[in-house]
Amino acid sequence: MRRRIAAFFESRLPLSDVVNHLKKPLPKHINWLFSLGSMAAFLLILQAVTGAFLALYYSPSPDHAYNSVKYISHEVPFGVFVRGLHHWGSSALVIVVFLHLLRVVLYGSYKAPRELTWMVGVILFLVVLGFGFTGYLLPWDQKAYWATVVGVEIAGTVPLIGDFIAKILRGGAEVGAVTLTRFYTLHTIWLPWLVFVLVGLHLFFVRYYGSAGLPQNRPEEMQGGKPFYPDQLFEDAVAILVLFILLAAAAIFIPVPLEELANPTDASYDPRPEWYFLFLFQLLRYFEGPLEVIGTFVIPTAAIVLLLLLPFLDKRERVPLRKRPVALAVTSLSVLAIVTLTILGGRSPKLETPSEPSIKQSESPSNDANQSEDATPEEDADDTPVFDFN
Amino acid sequence: MTSETHFEQSKRRTFFKSGIAFISGVISLAMAVPLIGAAIAPAFKKGQKKWVDLGLVELLKGARHKKINYTFQAKDGWVQATRERSVYVTDEGGGRFVVFSRVCTHLGCLVRWDEKKRHYHCPCHGGIFDETGNVIAGPPPRPLERPSVKVENGILYVREV
Ligand code: HEM
Ligand code: FES
Repeated sequence: MRRRIAAFFESRLPLSDVVNHLKKPLPKHINWLFSLGSMAAFLLILQAVTGAFLALYYSPSPDHAYNSVKYISHEVPFGVFVRGLHHWGSSALVIVVFLHLLRVVLYGSYKAPRELTWMVGVILFLVVLGFGFTGYLLPWDQKAYWATVVGVEIAGTVPLIGDFIAKILRGGAEVGAVTLTRFYTLHTIWLPWLVFVLVGLHLFFVRYYGSAGLPQNRPEEMQGGKPFYPDQLFEDAVAILVLFILLAAAAIFIPVPLEELANPTDASYDPRPEWYFLFLFQLLRYFEGPLEVIGTFVIPTAAIVLLLLLPFLDKRERVPLRKRPVALAVTSLSVLAIVTLTILGGRSPKLETPSEPSIKQSESPSNDANQSEDATPEEDADDTPVFDFN
Repeated sequence: MTSETHFEQSKRRTFFKSGIAFISGVISLAMAVPLIGAAIAPAFKKGQKKWVDLGLVELLKGARHKKINYTFQAKDGWVQATRERSVYVTDEGGGRFVVFSRVCTHLGCLVRWDEKKRHYHCPCHGGIFDETGNVIAGPPPRPLERPSVKVENGILYVREV
């Protein structure tokens, strides 16, 4: 039976051609760093699959988002696990994609003729960060709300069109219901479509140009290695299994954070972004007053443009890393800078909660002055004890 | 058919190619205008301004950097939303009040008044503003926003945008 089914398809489709394509030998000396791309692809699929399940229960409105995420975590069977995989998976994706990018830089694999593969890759990295940015508004907790307020304001500092961009992102003047549906739509429809088109292109280019292998490979070694299928794919699968075990363990043992419900007036909340945006958060501290735009716009844009154009700026022949002192120095310094900024950002002191003059709730103007429904000033509860507002 | 010359055939194909490009162009354009228009529409919407009352002047007498949270109704897309705002109010005497928005002019976090150090500071990137709202340290590019205020019938109102 199985044979007959196989024969049916075999006689109608060029299946063996497809398999032969996958069997093309890779260059010699492929090491495990070459599995990072497959690991990224796996994580992307994992995000799509877990995301599709979260979407069954998630409700993108300020009234329901927070409770729906709570519901997923506390009541849906396996919900906490699926959400954990999605949450830690997104962090893992950022790390794996970044490491993949680094290995491509250090092996000089972006050089001709692979410029297009590289450029699509840079865009994919940005899209992954875009997933993170749009994703963490969704739980509608304090972190979600404030990271989005600040994130959109950052976009708002773009010269001339900043305000326009910020309003389009928010769908209005403030982060609210329209913002949430926008971010949800970007996160679950626009970006996934974009990502799958880009990944398709990326993989097509990878196959079309063939793996660049190690820079020290001699020309005759470029075809002399193991086939992609099944030898390399097996190694990839092992790496993916290790990754999956780590993620599953994280999903089981590390609770996914969910802070208090978003509160636009909370007096004691110190906004901090997701860890992979801490470097930017920290960078912004150094540019004061009119220089603000350097941190919010000039440096990030320059970095992206430089990354995109890297293969055209560095056109020297591919040689092993030890013969590329400049590349090594620039890369190490950049990584060092990003890591340092991230650590500083993570450590940046929270404000001690200062005392503040305040009046008792009973004296609060809201109790007397306001009968009108539509404008109710109120002291919030955190103000009630005199001289304490935490 | 067979009598068609090579020249005629290539002319026809040129026409087909332009035809395909033209049709794709027309459909793309016809779709682009409404789709993009709908997507970016919120950027052109003007907010309505209105006065919101903060409370009885009597109760705010002598207020120094007093935090007041208030709410008002505004349309947020299809939602009649309750907007929440937070300001600091200082009584300048003679029925004059200074109201500072708590929104940091850097990137929008909420500043807090520090009674001991006598300044406003921002929990995000370390912006500090003095008692009069001027920047004394950190990245904020402008002084704290001061929405217009008015006193009417013994009630302090603040202008919302
Ligand atoms: C590809 C299809 C995807 C779908 C359908 C999807 C769907 C969802 C849904 C429904 C939520 C809300 C539930 C929740 O917050 O736990 C969510 C949250 C989130 N997503 Fe995705 N997602 C996808 C891909 C990604 C990718 C590639 C990333 C990578 C960075 C990502 C990062 C996040 C983050 C950081 C959150 C917030 C998680 C939390 O703290 O709870 N998502 N996603
Ligand atoms: S938002 Fe206040 S200092 Fe950056």
